[in-house]
Amino acid sequence: MTDGITRRMVLRGAGAAGVVGALATRAPTSAWAQAGAQAPALGGQESVQSALKRLFGARPLKDGAGVIKLEAPPIAENGALVQVSVEAASPMTAANHVKTIYLVADKNRIPVVTRATLTPEMGQAFVGETIRLGETTDVRAIVEQSDGTLLQVRREVKVTVGGCGG
Amino acid sequence: MADDVGRIRIRVPSSIKAGDVVRVRALVIHPMERIERDAQGKIVQKAYRYINQVTVTYLGRTILTLDTTQSVSENPSFTFAFRATDPGPLTITFLDTTGGKYAGLADIKLA
Repeated sequence: MTDGITRRMVLRGAGAAGVVGALATRAPTSAWAQAGAQAPALGGQESVQSALKRLFGARPLKDGAGVIKLEAPPIAENGALVQVSVEAASPMTAANHVKTIYLVADKNRIPVVTRATLTPEMGQAFVGETIRLGETTDVRAIVEQSDGTLLQVRREVKVTVGGCGG
Repeated sequence: MADDVGRIRIRVPSSIKAGDVVRVRALVIHPMERIERDAQGKIVQKAYRYINQVTVTYLGRTILTLDTTQSVSENPSFTFAFRATDPGPLTITFLDTTGGKYAGLADIKLA
């Protein structure tokens, strides 16, 4: 597959054809590294406990049942494609808004699915996406508000056919 | 199939009034390679190709950033809300781990 060659070339940042790609790659990566100290990849192969500890340290996760609406199917026939969405009740003003929404699938080998960084311009704290689930697991939505409060809700999704492989 | 990688479809409501909070759905064709294991169950070390960042800008300002991992599905779709204040471009940019950059544009028109 020609794909493989391009990928290697881009990664090494070497080769004539790779140069353009490498320039394109470098810029966002370094900008991202400067933007925050979160640079080590968002999620790796780890347990959900160590992932949460890494992301939030000892900060308490409060129950967000009244604030967060996590929509996920109770039974997912195909773990390769599970539609989930998170909506948090928030005025989304500069002073009081949802800053970050984390989506975590407890039993996935890579438990952290997404970190969404929101802004007040969105008008509504809503993010939905299609995720993979390796097996029947709790899915959590963790919401960080602008004052630093962390709220969490979870929901079990039964998976008939796992979709993570790995 | 490979040619389709990076094809983006963005759906916005057909009629938007100024000040409305509207929901947008963006779909991108992407393999989102998952981790492979060999016969011994050891992880195959290679550069996996998956989208690790999605950025949404509206009127030139970044309104949403998503950092994603391999736990996101193949050909993923992302849904979000934003407040449509002025007509203008809404762009969604997907970056993958191999340097791929795919951008989609929706022109927001107000009714």
